[in-house]
Amino acid sequence: MRRLHLTRRHALAAGLSLAAALALGSPAHADGFPDRQITMVVPFAAGGSTDVVARIVAQKMSDDLGQQVIVQNVAGAGGNLGADNVARAEPDGYTILMGTVATHALNPLILKSTPYDAEKDFAPISLLVVVPNVLIVNPELPVKTVAELVALLKAEPGKYSYASSGNGTPLHLSGELFKSMAGVEMEHIPYKGSGPALNDVIGNQVPIMFDNLPSSSGHIKTGTLRGLAVTTKERAPSFPEMPTVGESVPGYETYTWNALFAPAGTPPEVVARLNVAAGKALADPAVAERMTEFSATVVGSTPEELAAHVKAEIAKWTPVVRDAKIQLD
Amino acid sequence: MELFSNLALGFATAASPENLLFCLIGVLLGTLIGVLPGIGATATIAMLLPITFQLEPVSSLIMLAGIYYGAQYGGSTTAILINMPGESSSAVTAIDGYQMARKGRAGAALSIAALGSFFAGTVSTFLVALFAIPLTAIALKFGAAEYFSLMIVGLVSSVALAHGSVVKALAMVALGLLLGLVGTDIYTGTPRFTLGIREYADGLNFVAVAVGVFGIAEILRNLEGEKTRSVLVHKVSGLWPTREDFRRMAAPVLRGTAIGSALGILPGGGAILAAFASYTVEKRVSDKPEEFGHGAIAGVAGPESANNAGAQTSFIPLLTLGIPANPVMALMVGAMIIQGIVPGPNVASEQPALFWGIIASMWIGNLMLVVLNLPLIGLWVKLLTIPYYVLFPIIMAFCSIGVYSVNSNVYDLYAVAFFGFAGYLLVKLRCEPAPLLLGFVLGPLLEENLRRAMILSRGDPTTFITRPISATLLLIALAVLVVVFLPSVRAKREEVFQEED
Amino acid sequence: MKSLAFDSTNAICGAVFVILGGFFTYQSLTLDLGTALRMGPGYFPLLLALILVVLGLVVLVQSTRVAGEPLGPIALRGMAFILPAPVFFGLTVRGLGFVPALFFTALIAAFASSRMKPTMALMLAAAITLFSVVVFSYALGLPFQRFGPWVRF
Repeated sequence: MRRLHLTRRHALAAGLSLAAALALGSPAHADGFPDRQITMVVPFAAGGSTDVVARIVAQKMSDDLGQQVIVQNVAGAGGNLGADNVARAEPDGYTILMGTVATHALNPLILKSTPYDAEKDFAPISLLVVVPNVLIVNPELPVKTVAELVALLKAEPGKYSYASSGNGTPLHLSGELFKSMAGVEMEHIPYKGSGPALNDVIGNQVPIMFDNLPSSSGHIKTGTLRGLAVTTKERAPSFPEMPTVGESVPGYETYTWNALFAPAGTPPEVVARLNVAAGKALADPAVAERMTEFSATVVGSTPEELAAHVKAEIAKWTPVVRDAKIQLD
Repeated sequence: MELFSNLALGFATAASPENLLFCLIGVLLGTLIGVLPGIGATATIAMLLPITFQLEPVSSLIMLAGIYYGAQYGGSTTAILINMPGESSSAVTAIDGYQMARKGRAGAALSIAALGSFFAGTVSTFLVALFAIPLTAIALKFGAAEYFSLMIVGLVSSVALAHGSVVKALAMVALGLLLGLVGTDIYTGTPRFTLGIREYADGLNFVAVAVGVFGIAEILRNLEGEKTRSVLVHKVSGLWPTREDFRRMAAPVLRGTAIGSALGILPGGGAILAAFASYTVEKRVSDKPEEFGHGAIAGVAGPESANNAGAQTSFIPLLTLGIPANPVMALMVGAMIIQGIVPGPNVASEQPALFWGIIASMWIGNLMLVVLNLPLIGLWVKLLTIPYYVLFPIIMAFCSIGVYSVNSNVYDLYAVAFFGFAGYLLVKLRCEPAPLLLGFVLGPLLEENLRRAMILSRGDPTTFITRPISATLLLIALAVLVVVFLPSVRAKREEVFQEED
Repeated sequence: MKSLAFDSTNAICGAVFVILGGFFTYQSLTLDLGTALRMGPGYFPLLLALILVVLGLVVLVQSTRVAGEPLGPIALRGMAFILPAPVFFGLTVRGLGFVPALFFTALIAAFASSRMKPTMALMLAAAITLFSVVVFSYALGLPFQRFGPWVRF
């Protein structure tokens, strides 16, 4: 199989000229897959963390598959539009989805009706990365630990608010789970995405926030925000000093994950081929390095492991969503 | 002095042959996509993101930034030539720029836009270099209450955009605000006015609405009288601005630059307001306000400068905080992350060559744009003499591609058709689309911040007047209201007195 | 003294505003209004919709005071061909793929003008398609399938 070795000049040419299309047709595989470009649907806007993961992985998968894997952003309805598009696409492996905890665990629980079934309508390909969330506060808030925050919130119930990237997002649910497990009261202030929310926390308009670790790690390092704890079970490798929320609120664990899915009914050999390509992309040292800088942990999995993971995630979030009484139309 | 050593580092970085090349590629590509109606910088930058994986971080960000302001530049060209704004800011340019083009002065309008943008770009680049960090501190003082009051200033000003009936302009603002609310309510997740169509859950697409109410409505209007005319403009007089034009553009450019630089810093809506605010100011200070809407030079020079200044200073929150002010900036954050740079306040200190290189490249890119575009003006103006039965199918094809490329949402294309019809209806009813578009952009921001301010103050409406910045802004809104309405009241009274005579 | 005049354009305009305002009012009332202190999703739109109705009524009343220009010619042929063009593109871009969908979109739009000859229209549509495929699909690399499942064998 011929590989696409991109030099800087070639890479540029690929975008600006015909090179991308003329690049390569790989005849190497027995079943002939893939013989044309593959579309990876990202169900969120370009530039977000899911999009970045998708573009890094898609680039490397193209190298292995010998066909371009192009990223298409189909944003809308908290990821449901893009996920639904893929669920209804031809099950031939040429349309795949960059799924997340939102599209495959939370949305089906939160929404009164989801147009697809997270388990039955998809053929899992591979889990890719796990991204920790982080509990951050404005440095002017007089708390340095999760325990102090809990004490402050208990002393003045209802006085403080917390920001999130939107209603029903994994970060909102991280906050709601924290409220119910720690037994505290905070007012939820939703924003349109993480950026504006972060802005208001830095400006101390809202003192507390749950965020993805990648988007606020720069602020934690420079001290414009105080990171109290990460939400994963283990401490984050990029912040070994920072405790986990679970160390103060036993049993607390949330995180965001990204995984590839094909439409249900995709031939197993095609799924297997895509799984291999995804695995090779994740094993690439450059990718691993980027992901680590980005505070994401490369995981990878077999299709079966991903199916089990989705089932486990749904089981985990069902009681949380029910207890927090989050129900959207 | 530290600033000079920083700038020297920046120019040394940006002027390396490689970076100059990427800057050139960026502005060329940006101009190209800006000129093609409908297609925007967001889609292009998104496509190029994976390629930047292979480039040096500085080069890739310089190229992406070049695409962004190149597209702003090219967008004004389309707005002036065929009344087809691709970005909210060029919607204002379309008002008087297109009228100038219809009068055969497209060349002058384009050069004024180019020169005004260049001046504004130069000044605001230095502002970014000098004040990026202190300005960020001011921007952070803006909470929900302040944004709400700022939007009120914008809405009040928008009435000045209309050159016809004030009541109709207000109605158009209200309608625009309502259309802006289509989609999911962010506080409760309830879908509103979506008619059960899930594809509209994230609201109507700005490009679809703008292309519809401005561009398609204009195409239909041109098709009305096609028995008598076959090209948009018969006579094209003087490609270049006259000495008189230069004299009349100087002050508006200066004011536009100031307004754009100030408002551009505010993430979420600041840069959008800049062009609208500049137009309002120019119309107010002009000794010939009746010219506005019929091809006033100040109505092109001011907003274009404001728009470009705002585009430059909207990099400030990105560079100093790593917080994106608009979707294009979000993509730049993505590009940084792909490069392994974690955006945040540490970028300036940890990566000085990157930080100052980008700032210096903005000025170089602006210079390239002027040098590239001034000779092209003759070519653009020639476009107007293409028979429009040839031009319109081309525009429709590009619009369809452009609108679809934003989100790959076919419902956006249906919205184009619907708003084309609605826009034509409004033209026939002598209503103006600019206030509608401003309302559309501000609607969600206005409501979001109003409700957020009320939740944060735990239901206390005095929050808007007890917070000093918010109170000041509301006073400005009141002042604008008085200034806008006084002359018309006076005119009415004079009319009444004359009738009594 | 003015004689009894009637501005039909403004009358229609006012009526359109009232109808649109009414539509949004009706829709807002189906939403949770909340209170001024804790606004529901329907509160702010209801307020705006009522303002729109009032402004529409003002325009309607004003229209009875002064005479205005008539509506003028209406581009019926233009509407019949321009407006369906993007709709057609939307309906077919996934099925037919980018190339055929764009060709027919341009062809439909071409017939908006009565001056367009059929051969000219075909040539123009072909030229637009060729240009767009080169620029958008190859050079800019937009993620569209050039030929969709309906025309793939």
